[in-house]
Amino acid sequence: MLFLVGCSSRSLYPLPNRRHNGNRQPLQTFRPYNIAHRGSNGEIPEETTAAYKRAIEEGTDFIETDILASKDGVLISFHDVCLDDTTDIAEHEEFINRKRTYEVQGSNVTGYFVVDFTLKELKSLRVKQRYPFRDQQYNGKFSIITFEEFISIALDADRIVGIYPEMKNPVFINQRVKWPGGKKFEDKFVEILKKYRYRGSYMSKEWLKQPAFIQSFAPTSLLYISNQTDLPKILLIDDVNMPTQDTNQSYWEITSDKYLDFIKEYIVGIGPWKDTLVTASDNYLRKPTDLVARAHARNLQVHPYTFRNENKFLHFNFSQDPYKEFDYWINKIGVDGLFTDFTGSLHQFQEWTSPLSTGEEDANKLLDKIVFMISKFKTK
Amino acid sequence: MLVCNAFINAQTFIFLVMHLTGIVVPFIFLLLVNWCFARPLYPLPSRRNDRNRRPLQTFRPYNVAHRGSNGEIPEESAASYMKAIEEGADFIEADILATKDGVLICSHDVNLDDTTDIHDHKEFADRKRTYEVQAVNITGYFSVDFTLEELKSLRLKQRYPFRDQQYNGMYSIITFEEFISIALDAPRVVGIYPEIKNPVFINQRVKWSGGKKYEDKFVETLKKYGYRGSYMSKEWLKQPAFIQSFAPASLIYISKQTNIPKVFLIDDVNIPTQDTNQSYQEITSDKYLDFIKEYVVGIGPWKDNLVPVSGNYLETPSDLVARAHVRNLQVHPYTFRNENQFLHFNFSEDPYKEYDYWINKVGVDGLFTDFAGSLHQFQEWTNPLSSGEEDAHKLLDRIASMISKFKHA
Repeated sequence: MLFLVGCSSRSLYPLPNRRHNGNRQPLQTFRPYNIAHRGSNGEIPEETTAAYKRAIEEGTDFIETDILASKDGVLISFHDVCLDDTTDIAEHEEFINRKRTYEVQGSNVTGYFVVDFTLKELKSLRVKQRYPFRDQQYNGKFSIITFEEFISIALDADRIVGIYPEMKNPVFINQRVKWPGGKKFEDKFVEILKKYRYRGSYMSKEWLKQPAFIQSFAPTSLLYISNQTDLPKILLIDDVNMPTQDTNQSYWEITSDKYLDFIKEYIVGIGPWKDTLVTASDNYLRKPTDLVARAHARNLQVHPYTFRNENKFLHFNFSQDPYKEFDYWINKIGVDGLFTDFTGSLHQFQEWTSPLSTGEEDANKLLDKIVFMISKFKTK
Repeated sequence: MLVCNAFINAQTFIFLVMHLTGIVVPFIFLLLVNWCFARPLYPLPSRRNDRNRRPLQTFRPYNVAHRGSNGEIPEESAASYMKAIEEGADFIEADILATKDGVLICSHDVNLDDTTDIHDHKEFADRKRTYEVQAVNITGYFSVDFTLEELKSLRLKQRYPFRDQQYNGMYSIITFEEFISIALDAPRVVGIYPEIKNPVFINQRVKWSGGKKYEDKFVETLKKYGYRGSYMSKEWLKQPAFIQSFAPASLIYISKQTNIPKVFLIDDVNIPTQDTNQSYQEITSDKYLDFIKEYVVGIGPWKDNLVPVSGNYLETPSDLVARAHVRNLQVHPYTFRNENQFLHFNFSEDPYKEYDYWINKVGVDGLFTDFAGSLHQFQEWTNPLSSGEEDAHKLLDRIASMISKFKHA
């Protein structure tokens, strides 16, 4: 019996009372998606449970993560291939001999690579805030989480929250990590999504129950998995001087009409770096390029990255005001989703300018509001 | 013949002169009268009459554009004040100092080094001085050592390197009177919030005729432009103004000259008042507040003294706001800035969260901000202005859109 249970039980099995159609508030689909880039990493170290829970608390639509792999083939949520900038690896003398130099996307990188550590070893590390100007008080408190742990956070939320995982550095991962049965990183990635019943094309019934976008900078990885899952996919587009890691195609090629016509059969949208959508000079935004228009003409969504509140990331058009930046991208450029480090601010902006309406609760609020508005006229 | 013509011409000439004199003399008299009574910068009639300019809002905390919209444009320039008005500020704020020849100007620092191109002006290289200002020795080029004409030859620059530098070199220092005109010329009622700045230092360095002091000239200028009336009086609402100063003696001194509302600024905890040498503890004590409330309508403290900070997080608020409010004193803290280096971590690097805290949790009555546009946006989203007919249509639109969402439910 135990053997049977052992074989069939799933790790991190969510509590039943949280998993059924508990009338959870559904995903909003009437305004651009609020995507918590690495969780609320503006406030809490990136890609931690705490950062994701905070994002959900703050009203995000999707929690976003980068998936890499450990030495023993476990998929983890982590952005950099190296541990140096976001963990306390430098303080772990037991790992001092693990420093390596590898070539990653055409550059030599030296550091402690996640692919050289087992999950157990990675779990002994503690995550820290990447940017010195952000809150350092949570440094040393949280550990790296796995892809499955990330998924559980979304499924455990008290409303429907989507996931937005990235197949990160697949070329590098597949070089360094091997799985049995000839499986590749992309196979394991989809396997986990299926294990937790993520499926369905964009806006289908199944998808709306458990929304997900799969993103990657590597087009062949997206094409490869298109046979395995109909979950909607997003092609990420790097800066203009970075070719794709797998097909070595330039920015100009993958944003050409011809390529968009080709790739649109496999993806529902693109995720470009926002400074390539609207060129900037002297820290002022100038004219928009036509990429958004050409994407929209092919029914491709546009989800630019990354929006940050700090003034060093804001062009001068926005008067050091992140809300002005949201306003520009949502109302002038018309993007369909935004990757932001500050999901709370984006949510606040959207609630003020295009609020959610969900039925009964709003009927009373509606009457209140009408009374309030009319009362201003009475006193005239 | 010639003699005859000349004679006739002479007669005509005398005839003309006699008649013209009748016209010319009164004309000259009128010109003289005009010159005597004309005011410089006389605003065009079409802009000065009670022409139904939108009044000052008084139902939500005041949006005070600290030195204009200096987050975007160099501080205390005409352009930065006009931008602030465009962005919806309730009041434009200025620091008033004086030139060598006694003209009141808008400038925050006693020296010109950080906000002008003084260092590019070789002709003034020998004007560098060291003076004691509020017990500290400062070396630089002081505005009190320059005439207005000389100051006007300088150009302003943005003080902070992380703000937009593109307007450096475009604008000049403006006078108190020019500042006032910007407010009076606005298409809606915009208040002014001038500061009696460094009066001790100014009165040491600049002398006016007739034994007048800096404070006298300050009030004189306000009166010249018709600023008067106690807080919320009819006259005040037409031309709203607050007079601010860190120097209590100056505020008390002018209280006999004008009933325009005054605000007592309070510096950091380790800085005594420049004129009475009183400590922060003393001037924020119950006893002192009971005394000063007869002269001021409010206080303007540094916001980190209202709610102390540790580890870049706000702690428990002090009781200063409560003690001020109980004495019917307004609280207008300074200064709110959008940049994350000025935002405590409670606010998630979000200036709107900071506004929300101060307005809704602490309950301040006005805010000095470098970003009047952002504060205005926050207030419009959370506590919008309602002004009559324009809103009736918007109202119907909004109700229609709200009801339409239910159609789909």
